[in-house]
Amino acid sequence: MKRNVMTLIIGVILVVIFLLLLFTFQVRRTQIAVVTTFGKPVANLDQPGLYFKWPWPIQHVYKFDNRIQNFEDRPSQSLTADSNPLIVTVYVGWRISDAAAFYPKFPGGSVEMAQTMLENMVRNAQNAVVASNTLSAFVNADPTQLKFDEIQNEMLQTVQTDLATNNYGMKLEFLGLKKIQLPDSVTQAVFDRMKANRQKLIDNLKSQGVADALRIRSAADSDAARTLADANAEAIRTRAEGEAEAAKTLPTFEQNPQLAGFLLRIDAIKQSLNQKSTLIFDEGIPPFDLFQNLPTNSVPNP
Amino acid sequence: MSDHEHHHHEHGHTHEHSASEGQDAGTQALAEALRSSFFIVKVVMLLMVIAFFGSGFFTVGASEKVVILRFGKPVGEGDKALLGPGMHWSFPYPVDELVRITNSAQQSVTTTVGWYFTTPEQELSGEELPAGSTLNPAIDGYLITADRDIVHSRATIVYHVRDPIAYTFGFSNAPMMVLNALNNALIHAGASFNTDDILINRQTDFRDAVQQRVMDLADQEHLGIEVDQCTVDSIPPRQLAGVFADVVNARETSANSITAAQSEATNLVLQAGAEAAAKITRAVVDSGNYVTLVKADAKRFNDLLPQYRTNAALFEQQQINLAMAEVLTNVGDKWFIPENANGKSSQLRLQLNPEPPAPPTEGQNQ
Repeated sequence: MKRNVMTLIIGVILVVIFLLLLFTFQVRRTQIAVVTTFGKPVANLDQPGLYFKWPWPIQHVYKFDNRIQNFEDRPSQSLTADSNPLIVTVYVGWRISDAAAFYPKFPGGSVEMAQTMLENMVRNAQNAVVASNTLSAFVNADPTQLKFDEIQNEMLQTVQTDLATNNYGMKLEFLGLKKIQLPDSVTQAVFDRMKANRQKLIDNLKSQGVADALRIRSAADSDAARTLADANAEAIRTRAEGEAEAAKTLPTFEQNPQLAGFLLRIDAIKQSLNQKSTLIFDEGIPPFDLFQNLPTNSVPNP
Repeated sequence: MSDHEHHHHEHGHTHEHSASEGQDAGTQALAEALRSSFFIVKVVMLLMVIAFFGSGFFTVGASEKVVILRFGKPVGEGDKALLGPGMHWSFPYPVDELVRITNSAQQSVTTTVGWYFTTPEQELSGEELPAGSTLNPAIDGYLITADRDIVHSRATIVYHVRDPIAYTFGFSNAPMMVLNALNNALIHAGASFNTDDILINRQTDFRDAVQQRVMDLADQEHLGIEVDQCTVDSIPPRQLAGVFADVVNARETSANSITAAQSEATNLVLQAGAEAAAKITRAVVDSGNYVTLVKADAKRFNDLLPQYRTNAALFEQQQINLAMAEVLTNVGDKWFIPENANGKSSQLRLQLNPEPPAPPTEGQNQ
C-alpha cells in the first residue's frame, strides 16, 4: 500500500508537469505574444508572466522580441533642395509594439520581412526630407541654422505616421543620421577647394604675422615714446618747481647785483676749467702779472 | 503464509518441498531484488530532489547583478529586482530564470564612420594603403564640416551601465545602440564645427560636443549608461596632408614673428619705462640739488656781502686769486707765455680740427 501511494504521488507529479507543459506558457520580460485559436488571434499579451492556453492544434502561441532592435539603412544618395548630392545613412531603433497586429502582416511574424518594409519606408522618408532641406541645414556652424535634429525628427515622424496608418504593430522609437557623405566625384572638387583655401590661409598667415609684428612694434614704439614724453614733461615740471623754489632767493642777490654777478662769474670759471683744460695765459693776467719784469732766458726777437 | 508456517510444511512434504523450495527461493530473491531496486530508486529520487533544489543556489560576482525572472516576470521592481554580490537561491528552471548583468565594468565603443578605410593591423604596421585621389563613400568614412570641408575623425567613449535593467531588457543589442549614438554624435559635431576648429583651435570643445551629444542621446533613448570618458582623434584628409602641413608651418612662422615682436615690444616698453623713471629721478635730484645750491649761494652771498661792501676791489682780487689757485691746481695743461724781451707779445698758433691722415691701403702696405 505504501508503495502504491508513492507511485501515485510520482504519477500525479508527472501528470501535473505534463499538463503544465501542455496548458501553460511563459512570456518573458523581453517578449510579447499573441495567442491564436484555430489561426485567429484571440489574446494579445504584452506583460511577462505565466499564461494558460489550450493545447495544439486548438491554440498556438507566437512570441516576439519586444526589445528595441537596431536597423541600419543602406547608404542612399539624394539631392538637397539646393541641388547638392548627399549620401545619407540612417539608423533606427524600432520594436514590435502590438503582436496581434504584427503577426498577420508578416508571414510567420518574420522580422526580416518587417525590416525590409521598414527599409523602404525609411528610404522614402529620407529622400523626401533631404530634398526639402538645403545643405546648410545639414552642416552649419550657426546653431540656429543647423537643422540636424529637425531633419531627423521629420524623418522619424514620417515613418511613424506610415507605420501607424498601416497598423503594422511596429513602433519607431528613434531615428538618427549615421553618415553624411558626398559622391566619390564630388570629394575631388572639395579637395581642390580645400587646397586653394589652405593656400590662401598660408598667404594670410604670413602677411598677418608680419602685420601683427609690425603693429606690435609700432604700438610699443608709441607707448615708449609716450612714456618718455610723459617723463620729460614730469622732469620739466619738477625742474620748474625747483627753479621756482630757487627763485625765492632772488631778493637776497638783489641786495648787491655786482657781487652776485662777480660770484657767478667766479663759479663759472671754477666749473668750466677742469683737468682736460689747457690754460694759456701771459704776464698780463693776475696773478701772473707778478712775473712781469723778471729776468727770463727768452731770446729777444730780432 | 508466514515463513515459520512455511518451514513446518516443508518438513512434512519432502518431494513437494524440493519443488516449492526452488520457487520460494526465486520469489524471495526477486522480492529482495525489488526491495533493493526500490530502495535505490528512492535514494536516486531523493538525490534528484536534493539536486533539483540545490541547483537553485547561485553566486553573484562583485561586478554584476542578477535579475530573477519567475515565469518570465522579474521578481521585484526597480532596484529591488537586482540581486547584488553574494550567494542566493532561486527556483530552478523552468520556474525561475537568471539573467546576469554586468553593471560596473567599463565598456568602450569606437566609431570609424569618420575614418578612412584601414585595418588595425595595417595601422599598427604602418602599411596603410596609399590615399587615392578621391574618397569612396562605400568604404571611406569622413565628416563634412560646417564650412563644407572634409576631415577624418574617430572617437572612442568609455562608459558604464547605470541602469542595468534598461540596458539589458530594453535593447536587443545595446552596445550597437551606444555605437550608433556615438556615430550620430560625431557627425553632428563635425557638421557644427569648422575645419580649423576641429583640427586646431577648438579640439577640446569638439570632443566635449561629441561627449555631450552621446550623453543626450543616451538619455533620450533610455540606454541607461553613463559616459565616463571620450577621446577624439581628428586629421585632415591624407590627400591634403602636404598643404595642411604648410599651414601649420606658416602658422608657426607667423606665431614666431609675433612672439619676437612682442618680446621686442616688451623690452622697448620696459626700457622706456626705466629711462622715464631715470629722467624723473634725475629731474627730482637735479631740482633738489639746484635749490640746495642756490640756497647755499644765497647764504654765501649773505656771508660775503659785508666784506664786499667794506672793500669791493680788494674782495674781488682776493676771490679771483683764490679761484685762479683752484683752477691752476685742476687744469691739466698750463702754458705760460712771457713777453718777449722787446716787450712784444709772443704768438701761439693752434690748428683746429686737423684732418686725420688717411689709413694706408693694402697695396701700400705690401
